[in-house]
Amino acid sequence: MTRRIPLIARDLKRLYTGFLLVAVSLFLLCTYLTEFNPMVLATNGDAFWEFITEDFLPLALPKASRIPGIFSSVLVTLALAMSATTVAAILAFFVALFGSEKVSPFPRFAKAVRGFATFLRNIPALVWAFILFSSLGIGTGVGFVALCITSFAFMVRAFVETMEDVSQDCVESLQAVGATFPQRVSQAILPSCLSGFLSWYLYCVEVNIRASTIVGMVGGGGVGLTLFSYIKSFRYDIALTIILLIATMVIVVDQITGKLRKELLK
Amino acid sequence: MNVNTMEYSATAKARPVSGKKPSIPVKCRQRNRFIPAFLIGVAVLSVLSLLYLEIDWLKMASRVGDIGLVFWDLAHLDFSNMDLIASSLVETISIAVLSLLYSLLLGIFFGMLAARNVFRLPWLSVLTQSFFTFLRAVPTPVWVLLMLVCLGMGPEAGVAGLCVHTTAFFTKSFAQSFESIPDETIEALEVTGASRLSIFMNAVLPAALSQIVAWAGMRLETNFSECAILGMVGAGGIGYVISNSLQGYDYGTAGVAILLVFLVAYGIERVFVRIKKKFY
Repeated sequence: MTRRIPLIARDLKRLYTGFLLVAVSLFLLCTYLTEFNPMVLATNGDAFWEFITEDFLPLALPKASRIPGIFSSVLVTLALAMSATTVAAILAFFVALFGSEKVSPFPRFAKAVRGFATFLRNIPALVWAFILFSSLGIGTGVGFVALCITSFAFMVRAFVETMEDVSQDCVESLQAVGATFPQRVSQAILPSCLSGFLSWYLYCVEVNIRASTIVGMVGGGGVGLTLFSYIKSFRYDIALTIILLIATMVIVVDQITGKLRKELLK
Repeated sequence: MNVNTMEYSATAKARPVSGKKPSIPVKCRQRNRFIPAFLIGVAVLSVLSLLYLEIDWLKMASRVGDIGLVFWDLAHLDFSNMDLIASSLVETISIAVLSLLYSLLLGIFFGMLAARNVFRLPWLSVLTQSFFTFLRAVPTPVWVLLMLVCLGMGPEAGVAGLCVHTTAFFTKSFAQSFESIPDETIEALEVTGASRLSIFMNAVLPAALSQIVAWAGMRLETNFSECAILGMVGAGGIGYVISNSLQGYDYGTAGVAILLVFLVAYGIERVFVRIKKKFY
């Protein structure tokens, strides 16, 4: 019998084996629980095809009088994402300062700040939207607040991590010479972390463009609402046009943020 | 970041000094010039967006007190519908896991097609990449809504709709992982005459495996929260319970459901933070 030299490290191998076992058992369990049958997709193949060729294609434009409205709804979605992310980023910056033990003037409360952010973050944006709809009523403002909450919480975490990665010795040495808290922030943290913060900010803008479309679907306004109403009224051909419009919007924004990120991290 | 500042000071020294008296600069002059411009641009755009949205702040502010009331109502947990909540939560988790696993397989397959170094067919990778860029750009609930039309209510629509976006995400990230494999490895195997597929199975895939596991863990969190919101746009699951009971002023049930969503999401996050700390 030939002995084989192990090709990968033992602990890695254990990780993979564990991952595979967990995956297979979860797969079986979930298939059993939901009675999901992938063959349904295969047997419904013609229904799919019919749907795509007859309902979806060819592309149709909505009535000419509605077109300006659709473009302005795209603008609303973009504006919603942009302003919500910026407001959230400004708030998150100040809160994140108190969320890092090494930076905060009150290290004892850092854990509480982070815990609060974790709570906000782990509830999806749409759930926030629904909670707020039932108190503030339906409208763009509520979509704005809902987006703000989740991206605020996400950025608090990201900013705290950026600060912990970067600027400990800088902050410590400034503290040693007696710099006050605002001085420490403006002279040590801002210069070294700003590009990291901005790169997270751009990521959040990308995420929020999608999220604001979704929040729009349930009543936040914007292009999501337009799409939702066309789908609900079975105008799938027009819906496809709007889907293409959304895709174009997202791709363009992704391209722009990608370019900006490269420029920022240079 | 420190490395960066060092590089900047090196370039700054090379620049001719134009001042008369040499003095120690107090301000860090080597900052990225682009950042202030970027900040101003962002500020202007955001203010314009806020103005464009025309949000009725006064009306919102007058109702802020109601948020407290709603939370107060949500905090009165009502466990009487627990079996409904539990079964829909299980359904939601299962849909998230199933769509993750199916897309993992699909993602590896399409990632193989999309990676430039596996088949060395530029047109194939460009075609796959651009197709999946389109799929990725459309938010998940849209796909689920369309799947609901095709397949009717049920887990199939949820799994299929989530799979579209997840597969597109995996295709992009796996292709990136595959492309980060050093060319030497692949060339060495090419020289031995191994076929394209066996190069992929024996060199590229094993090398990217740890990244695949990491991506899958990251995606599980996203999939769960996406799955939780799917109910709100018309599919089943926990989201349907939340939106339905909120709209029916049954805040106790909604409170329990939201709390459970939070706990599961938090649990998934903690587990993967643990695993990450152990292995990286």
